[in-house]
Amino acid sequence: MAQKLKRKKSLYQRGKENKKVQAALTVLLPVLFGILVIALWQGQSLHKMFHTDTYTLPLPTKIGSIFMDNRDKIWENTVATVSVAFIGLMLGSLLGYAVAILASFFPKMGKGGLSIIGAFASVPVVAMAPVLNNWTKDISNEASVRSMVAKIIVVMLVSAANMSLNAYRGLTELKPYAEDLMATYAAKKRVILVKLRLPNSVPYIFIALKVAVPASIMTTIVSEYFAEYITGVGRQIRENIVLAQYSTAWAYIVTACLLGVISYVILMIVQSILLRKHQ
Amino acid sequence: MKNKVKSLANKKWVSTVFWLAILVIVWEIGASMIAVTKRTPENIMPHLYQIIEAAFSPKPVANGMSATMVVLTSARATLVRALGGFLLGAILGFLLALLMKLSGIVEKLMFPYLMLIQLIPVLGLAPIILAITGDINKSRIVIAAILSFYPVATNTLAGFKSVEKDKYDLMFTYAAPKRKIYIKVLIPSAIPYFFTGLKIAAPMAITASILVDTLQGDGGLGCMLSQSLKHAMSIYVFWLIVFFSAFIGIFSGYLMGWLEALVSPQKRGIKRTKRKKGGN
Repeated sequence: MAQKLKRKKSLYQRGKENKKVQAALTVLLPVLFGILVIALWQGQSLHKMFHTDTYTLPLPTKIGSIFMDNRDKIWENTVATVSVAFIGLMLGSLLGYAVAILASFFPKMGKGGLSIIGAFASVPVVAMAPVLNNWTKDISNEASVRSMVAKIIVVMLVSAANMSLNAYRGLTELKPYAEDLMATYAAKKRVILVKLRLPNSVPYIFIALKVAVPASIMTTIVSEYFAEYITGVGRQIRENIVLAQYSTAWAYIVTACLLGVISYVILMIVQSILLRKHQ
Repeated sequence: MKNKVKSLANKKWVSTVFWLAILVIVWEIGASMIAVTKRTPENIMPHLYQIIEAAFSPKPVANGMSATMVVLTSARATLVRALGGFLLGAILGFLLALLMKLSGIVEKLMFPYLMLIQLIPVLGLAPIILAITGDINKSRIVIAAILSFYPVATNTLAGFKSVEKDKYDLMFTYAAPKRKIYIKVLIPSAIPYFFTGLKIAAPMAITASILVDTLQGDGGLGCMLSQSLKHAMSIYVFWLIVFFSAFIGIFSGYLMGWLEALVSPQKRGIKRTKRKKGGN
């Protein structure tokens, strides 16, 4: 028995128990995998796998050079997409939060309202975007302005639904006895809201945003498809494919992916700064 | 009488109905206002009764089919494809989560990518996937599968990880083989999480399928939607499709809830005790 305990562990076992090795693997493995995929792509093995050619799936180097060539135009469209996503997200989150506060004041009526809002969240964007295009026809004579308003409203509705559901949970799922304590202080509703409910809901706001930030970009891109005025990263993907300019389309796809990742990273940084107290 | 009203107001469905009624009233007020001010009110906001009327009118709108027939036949095409992609994505998502739980290396390898794919606007990729696969049906299934894959995978993995250490210890004292632990402990406790993933995935798969329809004419819901927007057929087809897709989007989420109740006896038990207590 004693001998068995002393037996030298295999390299695999030692690696498994060493924390440093594990931490290194967490970073190394995905990076290596990513490099492998890009290498296969550049080496045209991916093309054989998907039975496609370098025309529809251009090589990474080609996409990179097109990306650099069209920097100005891509930037212009990125600004259009980001501004719609950001304004929509902000307005929607504020609206959703306001609805959640109202619902927390009148929980009996509010719950039913929230379940309807929750149902709205699963209405396909494809159904919402053309309706709002129709509704905003009279807002301005400029096609660029009215289609931007339509897009913003779609994004707003989607993020408001998400925020109100999460914020309501944050406003009502309090620590045990916290509400009773406030009652013994004979605290007014307004005081309870400011001192207890609002601080409690901050982490839930970030839970909502973690879903809403990528969703707002996705929604913007889809509603660009239906918009009257041709602008934005999503619309450019589609327009370029219709024109069979696949490399340019891929440059915009890369932009869209970067947008998703960068906005999420920004959210994480903001969260780590604001939630320092909560941890 | 007053008590009755009060107890009625406490029920959740009453407030849901109340808000629904308010929505209908707001819509109708808007529709009446637009009917007066606009030349073609049916393009912007028709009365709800007009939409219902269009649904039941036998008048042919395209190819000798009535509006409802058009919507239902194209809905079948769209939904079958969405379902195909959804099932594929759900199964792959579950298997990947299982694989990630079984092997630490696979988890380390795939986890960042699983996070990354959530941040990528996959629906924006729809046109390029269509270009690569070259076939509208295939691309629809691929996109619906990708979209339903990651919520299922991440949620199921969270489910596997949520199993407490006590349960492992108990299984250890039983000297249970690994396979038994998975079948008896891990998979059952991941099932609720799996369904949470499905509830997110189902409306997304439908959205994906409709969106791909709009890219190429092949008789799906999205295709009819863009055609009637261009006034190739009655505009009421557009409104019917909008309401129908809203309905199936919402309904698909509820359907997953029912399925969950069907396969997990534990949840049924909780519901029954709740009902006995008179709550909810």
